[in-house]
Amino acid sequence: MGHAQRRFLSIATKLPSVSLSSLRSFPPEGALATSSSTFSPETWAALQPPPPSALSALSHRIGLGSLLQVPELEQACTHPSVLPFFAQRHPNQKPPPANGNLSTLGNALLGLFASEFVAVSYPHLPTRVVKAAVSAYVGPNTCANVAKEVGAAPLLRWHRTPPTPLKPAVLHHDALSSIPRSLVALIYQRSSFSSARKFAHQFFLGREVDLRKMLKFRDPKVALTETVAKFGREKPVSRLLKETGRLSNSPVFVVGVYSGIEQLGEGFGSSLKMAEYRAAEDALHRLYLTRTPPELVRLPTLTFPEIDGDIFTVGDEAAYTPGELGTTEVRLGSAGRSSIIGPTTGIGPE
Amino acid sequence: MKSCLRLPLLTRGYATRLPQKPPMRHPDPLLKNPNTVTTSLPEDLTFIHRSPPSASTPFSYTINPTSPLLLTESPPAATSSSLPPPLAQPKLERPRLSDDKITEMQRLRVQDPKRYTRQRLAEMFGCSSAFVSYVAPLARSEKKAALERRERMHEKARAQWGEKAALIHEIRKKRKEYW
Repeated sequence: MGHAQRRFLSIATKLPSVSLSSLRSFPPEGALATSSSTFSPETWAALQPPPPSALSALSHRIGLGSLLQVPELEQACTHPSVLPFFAQRHPNQKPPPANGNLSTLGNALLGLFASEFVAVSYPHLPTRVVKAAVSAYVGPNTCANVAKEVGAAPLLRWHRTPPTPLKPAVLHHDALSSIPRSLVALIYQRSSFSSARKFAHQFFLGREVDLRKMLKFRDPKVALTETVAKFGREKPVSRLLKETGRLSNSPVFVVGVYSGIEQLGEGFGSSLKMAEYRAAEDALHRLYLTRTPPELVRLPTLTFPEIDGDIFTVGDEAAYTPGELGTTEVRLGSAGRSSIIGPTTGIGPE
Repeated sequence: MKSCLRLPLLTRGYATRLPQKPPMRHPDPLLKNPNTVTTSLPEDLTFIHRSPPSASTPFSYTINPTSPLLLTESPPAATSSSLPPPLAQPKLERPRLSDDKITEMQRLRVQDPKRYTRQRLAEMFGCSSAFVSYVAPLARSEKKAALERRERMHEKARAQWGEKAALIHEIRKKRKEYW
């Protein structure tokens, strides 16, 4: 598929298409007037709600046909950016309910579910990587992709907004990402907290996220030395395990990092420095990527009762045994890194 | 008329093979390998199993972690008899500097940082320049000024580079991103 075809398709999917059978009246007023300079068919089409059949199909597609009603789904698919546009074009009509509040609630719920899942599954993972993993699992890009995958993209009502000093810009994927968040919020409101958690686990937390790419260090050798010191082991020493073609143009070295007699990590490279770097990274990966087996994962939100209603409803709590706390990661010396001068920052190392 | 000179004994009249490397005969890696499991099968067959010599995956479960840091007891099979050779020679242990030497170092650094640099002080007091930076660091503003001076010197040197040198530098920088 050429560039031109791809561009056409991406624009065509964003154009509104209206199903005439669901309209109350057609043609719309002002469309056939002789002085029809104020009527724009694209604008009119963008403001029409999606047909109820499509919304119902969406709810059945995601397995919630019996739970969610069409008006709620219509609200979930209406982004607040369309409201000023709507008021401008139809000042006498009541504005449609938008998904601003639902999206915020759903975002908070998704963040909660993702962070508890990542923190319990990977107890030794550093905080910044936990944050990156949460963004990968339930961040704006993932939410936009989930919306496209469940087929909610043609049902979205939004308006492209340029950035203002008070608000950031609203682009297609920002508007799309509000739909799955609103769905999570709707499930929480109509069903229960545990149903919303189940939805999040099925649609978001089952996706493949490679944490290894997020574990990058400025200097893995220094990070490893400090980590090993924290665990109270011997200083790490790099040892050459295998080499070939040292003086050729394509050498391969395999280096292992040892703490005493135990091997912490192994890495290969086309130079000794590269192999050592990778060995230190591998040693840190082996520590940080230690995962709790899925059958032993005990999420903290299990303490909320599994009954219909919100989290403030009183009920029987499930028995909960807290998981093992991982060792906190080393905070490398950051003296001089921040330009903020506070009462504790002075001249000298931390 | 053909010449019928007799060839002397030292020259030869037959064609010789051109000098060539002998064909490389690689030894079979499975023959004398301690990591293999050999089974004799009927009909004069031998089944040799060798698991791939790859590094273990960094992913592991908490009940059976790969990282020795998470294991409280060291495995009994580990012995210190045959460890591979270290990559770099171990750094020589230097004696700990006394407090008055450290105070002297700090005084000199504050007095004239351009004369008493990290390297010079390290040589004078018999320690590493990293130690000097920990123990006798410069004030934040002075450090910033010193780094700017160094950066200007480096930029002047980089301006002298030709196209080839600049290209090699960029290639090395890009390669390091893929480490």
